[in-house]
Formats: sequence, C-alpha cells, structure tokens
Amino acid sequence: MKKIVKQLKYVVPALAVIILVGCGAQPAKPLYNYASYSDSYYAYKKNMTEESTLQLEKSIQEAINGTENSRSGRVAPGMHANLGYLYLKAGKANEAIASFTMEKTIYPESTLFMDKLINRIKAAEGKKL
Amino acid sequence: MRHMKQLTILFLGVFVLFSAGCAPKINTVTKGEKFPKMYDQQPRSLLILPPMNESTDAEAKDYYMTTVEIPFALMGYYVMPVEIVNDVMKQEGITNTEMLYDLPLNKLQEYFGADAVLYTRIKKWNTSYMVIASTLTVSVDSEIVSTKTSEKLWAYNGTVVQDLTNRSNGGGGLAELIVNVVATAINTAAADYVKYARIANFRLTSSIPTGPYHEAHMKDQGVKIIDQASTK
Repeated sequence: MKKIVKQLKYVVPALAVIILVGCGAQPAKPLYNYASYSDSYYAYKKNMTEESTLQLEKSIQEAINGTENSRSGRVAPGMHANLGYLYLKAGKANEAIASFTMEKTIYPESTLFMDKLINRIKAAEGKKL
Repeated sequence: MRHMKQLTILFLGVFVLFSAGCAPKINTVTKGEKFPKMYDQQPRSLLILPPMNESTDAEAKDYYMTTVEIPFALMGYYVMPVEIVNDVMKQEGITNTEMLYDLPLNKLQEYFGADAVLYTRIKKWNTSYMVIASTLTVSVDSEIVSTKTSEKLWAYNGTVVQDLTNRSNGGGGLAELIVNVVATAINTAAADYVKYARIANFRLTSSIPTGPYHEAHMKDQGVKIIDQASTK
C-alpha cells in the first residue's frame, strides 16, 4: 500500500505537468488587435449618444495602442480613419487631418480616399477664415 | 448475460453514430480551384458597400454593417472604413441600396481607389417561434467584384441557424412550453443577431483566399473549403 502511495506521489505531479503544458500552448494571436471596437461600434449605431461616441473613441484608442497583442504588430485597417472621422464630427479639424494622414501612411491603399477627405476639410476650413 | 445485452446496445449505438456521421456528403474544393481569379488579380483593398437588406427586419442593415469590417480585414485585406464610406454615399445622394448597386464600378474605383468592391446581401435575419422549438436564422450572401475588370472574383454564403429553445429539465407540460416561447421572444434582442451575424461572417470569410496582409497570402491555394454550389 505504501509503495503505491509513493508511486502516486510521482504520477500526480507528472500528470499535472502534462495538463499544464497542454493548456500553456497559447492560442495564436489575431492578426490585429481590435480591442472592444466591434461591440462599441454596434452600441454606437444602436444608440448615438455622447456616451456611446466616447466609448467608441476609447475602444479605437485602445486598439491603436494595443498592437503588441497582435501578430502583425500593426494597427488594423481603418482604425486611424475611424478615429479621424470622430474628430471631424466633433469639429477637431487638425486632429482629423492628422489621423487621416496616419491611415494613409500605414496603408497606402487608402491614399486616394484619405486625400479626398483631407482636401474637403481644408476647403471647409478655408471658407471659415 | 446482462453484460452481453449491454454490449449489444453499446455496439449498436456506436454503429449508429458512425453511420450518421458519414451520412451527409459534403463536397469540398480547394480555394485555388474555386476562386482562381482572386489569385490572378490579387486585390489589395476592398470597398465594403452598405449591405442590401432582403430580410424582414428593417434594422438588420445598420446592425449587420457593424460586423463586416473586422472579418475581412483579418483575412488580410485593406478594408475601406465602413462608417465613412456609408456617410459619404448618403452625402452624395445615394440613399437607397438599389441606387448603390447600380453605381458603375469605375466610378467607385475613381472615388475610393479600391481594387474590388464587396457586396453583402442579408437574406435572412429572423426568428421563427414555434411551440416546440424556436430558431434564429442569419444568412448572408456576399461577393467580391473587381473594379478593374468587373469580374466576380469570389462569392460565398454564410448562414447560422441557432436553436433558441430553453430546454429545462422539468416535466415539460404545455404551460412550460408557452413560457419558453414567450421567454425566447423577449430574449431575442438585436445583440443576439449581431452575435450570430459574426459567426455567419466567419463562415463566409474563411473561404476567401487570403489578402496581402496575411501570412498565408498566395500560399493557401490548397486549402479545402465546402463547395457550396454543389451542395445547394
């Protein structure tokens, strides 16, 4: 009986190690970190309030600042553009232009569209002066 | 003797499981065979147009729209920011989806500079309430069309049918059934649809040859997918 108990003493930790190692294998990181963008965007569409707008902006900021939790190490497509759009709606023209510029720097595919948006802002700002 | 009987039942059970598992024959095809034009043209960017809503739920369009950007980006494509695109279209006076889908592809290419357009069509977004079971269905058809050659590069359907019935362990009398039906109707909020729409999107996008920002780009021709055309 004692012998069996002694053997068990080794078997149990060994099993524990096997199980732990199995669980330790981390699931692959996603290509991009979106933070809670998806849920915030949905809440924003459902109910456009000051609060849901702030929450959406916060989620996008988190996604932009959390690239280490992604395989690409890059900000997801559209994040800077979406942030810029929120700035634009809030009347922050300079911040909007900076965000749209970031978007096309990271993703040259967006250049044509981002330039269009930037030019529009500049034209509108010019009228104000 | 009793053991024999148990064994027989066990064997029968296992046999049924095996044959049931083999029964529905699903045809598979490789991504390379099914969507060769994606590999020929290798679009880098997708313009996701506001969805066309063929379902009975008027809200489906706005809610579904919030779920499309991420899965297509995760497959390695640059996706034009959906919210801005949607608002620009409205400002340009394109208010209904029919107008949107009649827009010439070269105009879209000139305005947004995207290599391809992604069309989505919500086919089903509803819950059917029945006495015994309630099911939620989200079904979306989707296709990618080149803005350069106007060719259809990819098309796939994503459908999720979810059983919503609360199965309690009680006696299951008629009163309980009615309570269940009412509970299901109340519990099926818009958020549930969005949750299942995300799963439907995952089924859609997993069939796409990966784009330039994905590690498997131009290496996934041999990946097998369900051949939907042959299973319909």
